[in-house]
Amino acid sequence: MKRDLISLNDLSLETIQGYLALATQVESMPEADRRRLLAGKILAVLFYEPSTRTRLSFESAMYRLGGNVLGFSETGSTSVAKGESLADTIRTVEQYADIIVIRHPKEGTARLSAASCSIPVINAGDGTNQHPSQTLLDLYTIRKLFGRISGLRIAFAGDLKYSRTVHSLLQALGKFGGVRFEFVSPESLRMPSYLKDALAGTGCTFTETVDLAGSLAGCDLVYMTRIQKERFPDVLEYEKVKDAYCLDARLLKGVPEQLRILHPLPRVNEIATDVDSTVHAAYFPQVGNGVIMRQAILLDLLGVKP
Amino acid sequence: MSSDKRENPVLHIPKIENGFVFDHIPAGLGPRVLELLRSFPELSGAIVTVGLNYRSGKLGSKDLLKIEVDDLPESLLHLAALIGPGITIKKIGGFEVVRKYGLELPEAIENLARCRNPNCVTNTERHVGTRFDRVGGGSGYRCNYCERVFELRELELRLP
Repeated sequence: MKRDLISLNDLSLETIQGYLALATQVESMPEADRRRLLAGKILAVLFYEPSTRTRLSFESAMYRLGGNVLGFSETGSTSVAKGESLADTIRTVEQYADIIVIRHPKEGTARLSAASCSIPVINAGDGTNQHPSQTLLDLYTIRKLFGRISGLRIAFAGDLKYSRTVHSLLQALGKFGGVRFEFVSPESLRMPSYLKDALAGTGCTFTETVDLAGSLAGCDLVYMTRIQKERFPDVLEYEKVKDAYCLDARLLKGVPEQLRILHPLPRVNEIATDVDSTVHAAYFPQVGNGVIMRQAILLDLLGVKP
Repeated sequence: MSSDKRENPVLHIPKIENGFVFDHIPAGLGPRVLELLRSFPELSGAIVTVGLNYRSGKLGSKDLLKIEVDDLPESLLHLAALIGPGITIKKIGGFEVVRKYGLELPEAIENLARCRNPNCVTNTERHVGTRFDRVGGGSGYRCNYCERVFELRELELRLP
């Protein structure tokens, strides 16, 4: 039976650990060996809304495994613009490719696509719902940096109310258990209660604060997020909080050497460029880990063992 | 009207020889059950009696409905549970209760409700069915597509 990657909610801890192990294996392989793994296979990249990073990352992953890529990154020149249904597009593309990666502004699109075809489908973001490959690459990065996940002290800072990336990563970290969280946000962008409630029984604990500077010394990892203008129903509310946090080299003076900073990118003002050259910056290697994790995902769903 | 009659709907609504009694319908939802019955063409000619706002020890007040047919479609039983989880259905044969149906919330609701999230793909693509899975053993249901969780009362039922 074909498998898909649609939602973190579908993944057990064991499955997540399987992806982490596979990514480690992929990373350790000689490049020449890796390039043979998906030779002759085709990835269809269907992006119904703009995304540079995720699309290029999947394409890079496929090319690095020796495969080929086709697809679109906007719908203006496709049959979608003529009113074609999603199911028809998917059934058509199924004839051209071995695996599909899809991003779409409507929630549930990836699940519907997976149900409409017999080849694996990867969700690269469905509206505000899920973006599971981002979560998996974040977990891979954290484990690579610290060698473990349980026992870490992790601060999430910025927009904790609307950030899909933060919500999904928090839920995944909860499956590992034993993490101490610090939620750093303006009052109006606090972590939703249902996510905090879900930590009960996981062995994780959390505290909440508005003070980023005060949190840094006690953490192993700070996961910064952009305050996303497009998520605010009221622009005035956005203006009030848009520059709430700016992590710069001055703030990092005196923090423990091992503190690391992640960010899903793109950043605006929340991490100053003077942080980039410090030992704490780990967000560009995080992007590189994305390509590795996406290779692991492609291999796993296509049933190819490295 | 005597107090006996007010408190005992059986005295107020004539007994039926054969058919089904929908009892313990939360007051106000009786018309919704009637609407449900009327949505099944095979039941359109049946005699239906409806009683509203009876006193009930358990519910305070309740509605009651009787329909004189030999059989009920299976899907109707599931839909009735969705309208009011406490509703009981008794099958009557020869004026006696011959079977009781306990209506429990289904683990999944397929193609019977519309997702309330306007950005859910089930509301934007044509000819897409819906599916909601019960979460946590309560009356919360998660949309299989957009993964939002709704209380049963928030879901807009699509009658057949």
